[in-house]
Amino acid sequence: MDLLAQILANGLLLGGLYAVMALGLALVWGVLNIVNLAHGAFIMLGAYLSWYLYTDAGIDPFLGLPITAAVMFGVGYALQRGLLNLVVRAPMFNTLLITFGLEVILTYLAQLVFSADFRTINPPYAGDSWQLGPVTLPVARFFAFVVAIVLTIGMWLFLLHTQLGRAIRATAQNLIAARLYGVEPRHLYAMTFGIGLALASAAGGLYGTVSQVNPYIGASLTAKSFAISIIGGLDNPLGVLVGGLFLGVVEALTTLYIGPTFADVASLGVLLLVLVVKPSGLLGRTA
Amino acid sequence: MSALLEVRHATRRFAGLVALDDVSFALAPSEILGLIGPNGAGKTTLISIVSGTLAPSEGEVLFQGAPITALPAFRRARLGIGRTFQIMRPFPGLSVLDNVAVGALFGRGGGQPKLAVAREQARACLDFVGLGRSAGQRAEELGGPGRKRLELAKALAMQPKVLLCDEVMAGLNHVEIDEVIDVIRKVRDQGISILVIEHVIKAIKSLSDRLLVLHHGEKIAEGVPAEVLANPTVIEAYLGKGRA
Amino acid sequence: MKPVRALLVLAALALLAAVPWLGSDTLIQFGINTLLLAVLAQGWNIIGGYTGYASFGNSVFYGLGSYGVAIAMVQWHLPFAVGLVFGVGLGIVFACSLGVAVLRLRGHYFAIATLALAQVMTAIVSNIGLAGQNVGLVLPPLNNDRLFYELALGLLVLATLTVWGLTRSRFGFGLIAIRENEEGAAVMGIDTTLYKVLAFNLAGIFSALAGGIHAYWITFLDPESAFDISLNVKMIIMAVFGGPGTVLGPIVGAFSLSAISELLSSNVTSVAGLFFGAVIVAAIVLMPRGLADIVRNVPKTGWRYFRQNIRAHRL
Repeated sequence: MDLLAQILANGLLLGGLYAVMALGLALVWGVLNIVNLAHGAFIMLGAYLSWYLYTDAGIDPFLGLPITAAVMFGVGYALQRGLLNLVVRAPMFNTLLITFGLEVILTYLAQLVFSADFRTINPPYAGDSWQLGPVTLPVARFFAFVVAIVLTIGMWLFLLHTQLGRAIRATAQNLIAARLYGVEPRHLYAMTFGIGLALASAAGGLYGTVSQVNPYIGASLTAKSFAISIIGGLDNPLGVLVGGLFLGVVEALTTLYIGPTFADVASLGVLLLVLVVKPSGLLGRTA
Repeated sequence: MSALLEVRHATRRFAGLVALDDVSFALAPSEILGLIGPNGAGKTTLISIVSGTLAPSEGEVLFQGAPITALPAFRRARLGIGRTFQIMRPFPGLSVLDNVAVGALFGRGGGQPKLAVAREQARACLDFVGLGRSAGQRAEELGGPGRKRLELAKALAMQPKVLLCDEVMAGLNHVEIDEVIDVIRKVRDQGISILVIEHVIKAIKSLSDRLLVLHHGEKIAEGVPAEVLANPTVIEAYLGKGRA
Repeated sequence: MKPVRALLVLAALALLAAVPWLGSDTLIQFGINTLLLAVLAQGWNIIGGYTGYASFGNSVFYGLGSYGVAIAMVQWHLPFAVGLVFGVGLGIVFACSLGVAVLRLRGHYFAIATLALAQVMTAIVSNIGLAGQNVGLVLPPLNNDRLFYELALGLLVLATLTVWGLTRSRFGFGLIAIRENEEGAAVMGIDTTLYKVLAFNLAGIFSALAGGIHAYWITFLDPESAFDISLNVKMIIMAVFGGPGTVLGPIVGAFSLSAISELLSSNVTSVAGLFFGAVIVAAIVLMPRGLADIVRNVPKTGWRYFRQNIRAHRL
């Protein structure tokens, strides 16, 4: 029973991180209809940024998140404005392929600049943990979880209650109508993609504190983010949170009861089930 | 003469909205039945239920006496039910000729197996609707009126027994409307029954043998055009209360 | 097809067939790999290019074909040909069962579902004893690169003839109609579910045969390499670069991209992958309909072709 509680706690903590990872992807996908196959690579970049900030400038990874997020926001804005806006009205398949090309470029750049060594971000409290009854909560993971929840709820509030957020939602639903309301689409698209990358980089920073970073983690992180976005539904950041937590728990339980190698199979199995039964996701509107 | 097409008590609900409420009618062979009603009355929903694109919440559809309610759209097409769409659905990457050829390849009875023959039939259909000269163009290059005729040609290539026309005259000027009326009359002369949804009252009055009026999903009148259009309930539906 | 073009194609074919007698061993090996990739691209062309269902999971068929041959030859001591048939059979079973479920999805959902399926298969096969589990299987060696080369070439010719046949057949028209407008296709009498499943099967059969030939050629098989996920993106990029929905496009794409990749890796190793990614990005922006479309249109419109593409697709 205690073991189960621990596993569930692990699953939830992991799930929170998963949710942040997927948040940026779901936003860009839901609003811009851009399926960003390079999303995981951007998470990886964010992780490296946080690592360098910590290693070279001594900035705590959590405190450094706003800096890395701002940098990646700029990168995202420029990328959307300069490149991705060129293919937005092409068949959606084209954005799949162009972001795949970006993924290849980013992975190789990372390999060149950062080398293939594994890196972790190890702030002094990395090894500590707290006790909550029978459950041990590693401090870094717990902080990551808290930041994840804050970011998700923040996104939800942002989309619902700020002018920019509402403009983004309006654009997602009807680009032509949004234009009529004075929205400048190229700028708005770039802002949205920038936010998406900022979120990805935050996720990367968090990821770096709980796991190892190398140039090749991009692909599997992208796959995982997809699974979560679909499982949770693209309409709502809270859906992504539910999807992430759900997947985290599923993986933790699978690792305990079946075996660690099956964790990925389990998440993919859930993804396939959701796709076949309810493609709009657990929390999405029925199509 | 037994009805070619019959709809009995068709009802369709969409999560709280009743789009169609207990609508019944019959279509005789070689008859033109006009379907009118204010916007949102349920006309396209009714046609979608007949063509198989939408399933009714209640009620049934019969074709030549046999129930087809459970049949998917493509099987109904093979039985001889052809349809044009209000929001047009061409095959953009194909030429105008090939768009129509698809109808000939897959229409009634499973269509024509040979591509060359299908293309010949397609050419005949294009000439019939007056699009003969555009055969080689790409479908996406056609303008609005051209696309309406293409929709018609595609449906005709299927050699239907029943043709469901959803607003083929929308956006056309007087001359074009008269041309389309001519084409539809020619289609009926070939022995095809036609169910026409139209907003242009003058056109549908001269074209239809009978009229069916829908309002808020219900059938409020059915009969000869002169009678139906003089019916106070119908006038009220279009112009609001107190104007009849 | 115009007679000049037909002659060119035949000449190219004759030249290709002669390579094992004209080229070095390395060239033959490069040839076999490229030919098999071209088969995969052509197979993808059927479901992705013509039917419009971009599958990211054709690697499953490749793996099933590989394992079909491996299991048949190693565990049951059956000849290669029987192994190929077995592999194809496995592919058909897969396409008709899981394929049907997944073909109900559209657009990127279909793409992601097939990708998920591809990843799941690797994990599943790693746990099957008959397939040698994680360790893999070792096939009886056959040291005859020339034979494998001609087999691969023959398979490519077969796949291409099939695609060519599609463009002139009722079935092919049905697939194209599904791609252009699936609901419109259904209303015109096309059994879209049946046709999609058939197209998926067809793509799967060629991929499985390619996998089978590859397995026997390299003599060793393990789940990771048999169900190699990166194959999916390779075959798609090649088909799209060359021209999806055309007969020769995937072949041109496969040959040109393989050649570029080889040249880059042998000369500028570290930057090779980078350049490849840049080529992809540039291609999608400037020539989204592939080389085939360039060949068709640039003679008419000149350099404006590229600007027109951008203008048509930008926000």
